[in-house]
Amino acid sequence: MVESEPSTPVAHEPAILIEHARKDYGKAAGGRREAVSDVSLAVSRGAIHGLLGPNGAGKTTTLKMLLGLVRPSGGRFEILGAPAAKSGARAQLGFLPEQPYFPPQLTAWEALRLYGQLSGMSTKQIAAEAEPLLERVGLAGKQKTLLSRFSRGMLQRLGLAQALLGSPSVVVLDEPASGLDPVGQRDVRNLMLEMRDTGASILLSSHQLSEVEAVCDEVTILNRGTVAARGHIDDLLNVAGRTSVRARGEGELPAAVASLVEDQAYSGALAAFSVADENVRRVVDALDDGDWQIVSVTPKRDSLEDYFSRLLAESGDLADTAAPARGDRPSPSEEVA
Amino acid sequence: MMRKVTAIALAVVSDALRRKVLWAVLVFAALLAIAIPSLPSYGTGVDAAVFRDFAIALTFAASLVVVIALSVTRVPAEVERRTVFTILGRDVARWQYLVGTWLGIVLVMVGVELAFLAVTLGIGWLTYGEPAFQLAEASLAILLECGIVAAFCIMITARLGAVTGAVAALAFLFVGHSVASLVGGGVEGAKAPWWVPSLDVFNVINPVAHGSGISVSYVGAMLAAFGVWC
Repeated sequence: MVESEPSTPVAHEPAILIEHARKDYGKAAGGRREAVSDVSLAVSRGAIHGLLGPNGAGKTTTLKMLLGLVRPSGGRFEILGAPAAKSGARAQLGFLPEQPYFPPQLTAWEALRLYGQLSGMSTKQIAAEAEPLLERVGLAGKQKTLLSRFSRGMLQRLGLAQALLGSPSVVVLDEPASGLDPVGQRDVRNLMLEMRDTGASILLSSHQLSEVEAVCDEVTILNRGTVAARGHIDDLLNVAGRTSVRARGEGELPAAVASLVEDQAYSGALAAFSVADENVRRVVDALDDGDWQIVSVTPKRDSLEDYFSRLLAESGDLADTAAPARGDRPSPSEEVA
Repeated sequence: MMRKVTAIALAVVSDALRRKVLWAVLVFAALLAIAIPSLPSYGTGVDAAVFRDFAIALTFAASLVVVIALSVTRVPAEVERRTVFTILGRDVARWQYLVGTWLGIVLVMVGVELAFLAVTLGIGWLTYGEPAFQLAEASLAILLECGIVAAFCIMITARLGAVTGAVAALAFLFVGHSVASLVGGGVEGAKAPWWVPSLDVFNVINPVAHGSGISVSYVGAMLAAFGVWC
């Protein structure tokens, strides 16, 4: 497992703590299917923690064990320091399931009223929060619309609204941008950042690596039911010992530079490449001498896509990311059992 | 604790009231109730009793259709569509969800029984010139039995599918109303011992349609049976 040193020490107990989570489906006689073998993660307070992994890695099952939606076969689950299974532990938690559906014969207002009441809010509080919340997720004026008339994207937005109702201090979002158009995805990203600014802790499970890279402070990468990597996103993505340089100039790179660089890419007069840290000074000086204009000098950083692909390729699982392992997934009734 | 149960129950009521199956059965049953007085005459003094007999049977049949349709589909549909996740993810215990669902269906059935009672009372009054208020006693018996059927269906469908739940509910009703003959060896008029579970206590057609109604103590017995079953 790849593990980076935490860049900042955790000063207090985490908002979410999962230790050695394990989930088996089926009976021993019929062949057990292990959905989650050993997953541990901690979401720091006020942080956005990304949970990544290919299909069938165990992300959703881990979340469902945390939320009491499936019974864990083993492990420890805590929310704000209290055992997650304890009554009242999830009172301060908002949850957006993957592809949320709601009773289709309810209106958006009735659905929010239901979820608000289940969170212990008074009707007055719900009424005060519902309208601005619907507006915030892009559903202004839809309070009285039946959910059977909602599109997939609108249901996703309503799912976000119900997860944020009551201003929970811990929010679990399973694929929040699923089914949303690019504008909606941007809105969700901004919403998560706003929530973090108000002190909420977010556990975000997503396939959208760009989304995770844009908002997450920490990530845990799962593969085949175990943790493949975890740490601060900068620590995971920064490539040790190498620096990225972008410079603008005419013609070829100076000869003194060309022999020292890797990963060259050109866009018009702009050249981008990486160099070993110890050669940065020589390269910059040579570019300067060759009348090149230095645009940026930054630590070399993988894209999350590159990192993720490399990690899976190293473990020989890249092919698994192409297709969901539907046959391995438990049925809904197995999950709720 | 009960606030969550009530919230789920009210959501079930809102959802059920917008379901077409509920209104289709109600309208169909109301049309049949209107047609009862046009049945062949059974002679002076007997017509009103026959009307009450048919009205109770019709109310019972229509109520069973509604309660089974609502209660066997509710939990499997919520699990299949995963709408249950947003509820159980909110610190709601499974028993609260199941009891809330049951309570919601019972509340819907209260409305259904009141609607049937209003229709049959009105038709009886218009046709025979006197209101058959004893039909309210039959409505109460049907409501209590529907509550038991709903609880049974929810219990079954928490683990099994809707079709299995519907078949099991019909089998449960059959056995529940046949216990006396089964225990009594098929002898007509045989009564099962009080401790044998039976639904016969809710069979009030004879005293309500052809007799003078049921006593307060009998209502108490029905309520006790309802409590024990649920």
